Amino acid sequence: MPVILILRRQEFRLEGTLSVKDALKQLNLSPESHLVVRGGELLTENDSLRNGETVKIVSAISGGVS
Amino acid sequence: MTTMICNTCGQKAVIRMRQHRLALCKDHYLEWIIDQTQRFIEKYDMFNRREQVLVAVSGGKDSLALWDVLWRLSYPTAGMYIHLGIARETEYSDLSEQYAREFAAERGLPLHIVNVEEEFGQTIPELAQVSRRGRSKPCAVCGLVKRHTMNRTARELGFDVLATAHNLDDEAAFLFGNVLGWNIRQLRRQAPYLPEKDGFARKVKPFCRFTERETAAYALLRGIEYIEDECPHAVGSKQIEYKNLLNQLEEAQPGAKLRFMLGFLQAREDGFFPLEEIVEEDLDLQPCPSCGQPTTTGGLCSLCRLLENARAG
Repeated sequence: MPVILILRRQEFRLEGTLSVKDALKQLNLSPESHLVVRGGELLTENDSLRNGETVKIVSAISGGVS
Repeated sequence: MTTMICNTCGQKAVIRMRQHRLALCKDHYLEWIIDQTQRFIEKYDMFNRREQVLVAVSGGKDSLALWDVLWRLSYPTAGMYIHLGIARETEYSDLSEQYAREFAAERGLPLHIVNVEEEFGQTIPELAQVSRRGRSKPCAVCGLVKRHTMNRTARELGFDVLATAHNLDDEAAFLFGNVLGWNIRQLRRQAPYLPEKDGFARKVKPFCRFTERETAAYALLRGIEYIEDECPHAVGSKQIEYKNLLNQLEEAQPGAKLRFMLGFLQAREDGFFPLEEIVEEDLDLQPCPSCGQPTTTGGLCSLCRLLENARAG
């Protein structure tokens, strides 16, 4: 069972137990502009993601010309 | 990997801010954001508790987080939402308005709503079609309409100050774009605080030293519901390109964005890029003969020219 990561309506699957930092790296997402949330709890880059669980990725970037 | 712990209480941290060498748990992070906001308000002398603050809200994380923080700090605030008429098929503007309305209703705060289509006869995407500068990207037209509407609303409703939720990423990206093109005029208009002057409301940016990641974390931890989808027109914009570049730099050099912004403000303190608004002779402001808002053009202001073109088809 892979880790399932959902960003907006897109689903990504990664195999194995890995850290939030590594997961974002594998998905080529900047940790400076993305947060990872598990069941309403905000995770730090050191937290581990385990096989079979689903987490949400929140993009923090927004805006055109202000 | 070891679990990160809160620098204040030793509990499990929920966020680490490398540029501050600080990791905090949920409670201490929420407290930190509120304390820091108050610090910035005082540092830049933005407003006091007797002044009425109009908060420009978009239904997004930054503006609703800002309104929440100012409300918790007991500042007298009202919100203003501008319905831009964007993406009727995905109801982007309708949904954003709904989030702003729900936020205000839950806290019993007044919300003023301006509908661009009702006000100007056309939506932002429609107005952008008649503008040379907005045809490929409506962001410039959207910015023009929002700045005009926010200023007019703040003044007409008698607010002392207009607060926007521009964050560090917005400010650093704007600065980066203007330095890249050496746009001195725009550099001289960028500040966390713009004083009231000749028809312009006082404008403040209390979140200008928080990153987008930090404001998003505040909204999530506070349980604020906001529109997560990107404005469909902002995708691929220069502003977002600059933000991505600066975030790459930030990854390699924590604190780079903050140093860039603070260095610019220090340069101003040292006499470079003086703020346009405080150098009297630089501006010859006249009221626009159509809407009465201040303009340097000597005739119709930029928005009224755009609306005239729209009417002419």
